[in-house]
Amino acid sequence: MNNVIKITIYTILDQMRHKSFYVLLGLSILFILMIRGCYDGGYTVNGKMVDTATVAWHVSKIVFHLIAAGMFLMVSMLSMKIFSRDHADGSTVMFLARSVFRWQYILGRVTGTWALCLVFMFILHLTIFLTVWVKTGTVIPGYLTASLVCSINLLFVIACVCFLSLFMPDFISAFFTMGLLFVGFLSDGGYQIINSDIVRSAVPVSTNGGPALWRVLYPKVFMLQAYADAIISKSEFHNMGPFHPLLNLSFFILLILMLMLGCFNRKEI
Amino acid sequence: MNIDMIILDSVTKKFGGFAAVDNVSYTIQKGESFALLGPNGAGKTTIVRMLLDFIKPSSGSITINGRPASDPESRKHIGYIAEQHMIPPYLSGFEYLSRHASLIGLSGKDAAKEVDRVLEIVAMQGPERKKSATYSRGMQQRIGLGAALLGQPMLLILDEPITGLDPIGIRDVRKILENLRGQGVTVILNSHLLSEVEKTCETAAILYKGKILIKDTITAIVKDNETLEDVFIRYIEHENE
Repeated sequence: MNNVIKITIYTILDQMRHKSFYVLLGLSILFILMIRGCYDGGYTVNGKMVDTATVAWHVSKIVFHLIAAGMFLMVSMLSMKIFSRDHADGSTVMFLARSVFRWQYILGRVTGTWALCLVFMFILHLTIFLTVWVKTGTVIPGYLTASLVCSINLLFVIACVCFLSLFMPDFISAFFTMGLLFVGFLSDGGYQIINSDIVRSAVPVSTNGGPALWRVLYPKVFMLQAYADAIISKSEFHNMGPFHPLLNLSFFILLILMLMLGCFNRKEI
Repeated sequence: MNIDMIILDSVTKKFGGFAAVDNVSYTIQKGESFALLGPNGAGKTTIVRMLLDFIKPSSGSITINGRPASDPESRKHIGYIAEQHMIPPYLSGFEYLSRHASLIGLSGKDAAKEVDRVLEIVAMQGPERKKSATYSRGMQQRIGLGAALLGQPMLLILDEPITGLDPIGIRDVRKILENLRGQGVTVILNSHLLSEVEKTCETAAILYKGKILIKDTITAIVKDNETLEDVFIRYIEHENE
């Protein structure tokens, strides 16, 4: 078996040894199941009763993004300690004293953490999907596809935190990454609001210039969330600039992984 | 026929302006039991870390079994135990050894058989399923030695392997090294216990402030009515004068 696959499996197994992993998963599912109550209420908008399916659909969309935001925090916490913990407990020596390439070690650790978080997020999204289906009989097409699309965001966060943790204290690397995401949230969120149907109908569209270049090139984490939202809603996706957020993030992930490998190759064990 | 297992060619390692290893060259032949001696800070562990590519030399080259040390393939047949060997606390000794077995390409029954074999050699059958966090320093060191012995390595690098071991443990390590000598395994031993080195190694080098003061067979280094300790102290004191 390839060393990358072995290290990926070890990473998943080691993370799953922690009881806190199961407690967190259990609490998250419990929280999601508690939302079921929202589907039972009677809601009136502009004097009209909203049917249960519509309510379920809207609530599910909101919870979809809440889960994704929570996952950003969780992956940051998991990723920030990968290298420092491995160094402290002898795992780095265990791998690198054998015929393991440094890139295999890095890729194995990143892939393992990503796979675990992807499954964690997918389980939570699947819980919503099934709850809505059982409770209201409504199947939200695209919900699970959107979950898989959002997992690219998790990979970006893991790569970013791991890379930064090579230069700065663990917590600061996670904090810095959250800052990066927040700037993207303001930039891309603002763009989405300006291009939303409500704002467009209320305010005449200004055609003077597009967004600044840095905003077009910035990591499109929030824009990918918006794309996932569009998949769920089957609505139009307002992209910023010529590059699709999937392409944008794939580029950044590759770039960060290459930089991380370059830095880790020079790192003294 | 003598075959070179390790070649250090003009190897220097600087940390900032300080040369931890200064233009060191030597060759270790296949099957040789070689001891690297020196006081604390002499550069012994730095050399070991360069052999394993944990750190890169500032200049010079290191070749292991015909391959540059920077090539992970050169570590395919190396067993290594670090000074103060660490085992991830969430793993049991058995799991730790199984991972090592897997990393050297063993799987299934072969891996389990090999793990059992080394557990017997290092006398850790019994507590091997307990978490390593519950192990004493000596037990961790035994498991570390077991990991180094997995897969019958061609080269064994032992950095202070008897740290934390009780007298019985030290005797066991000596026996293991004597057996390996009979099997033609190349051994590099970093140790402060000169009496042990004298018993287990054929050749030795004395390292001081990053430089090799002498490298020869122990019988050639140690004259009549002297011990290796006497020779070691004489060399170091001479350098300090």
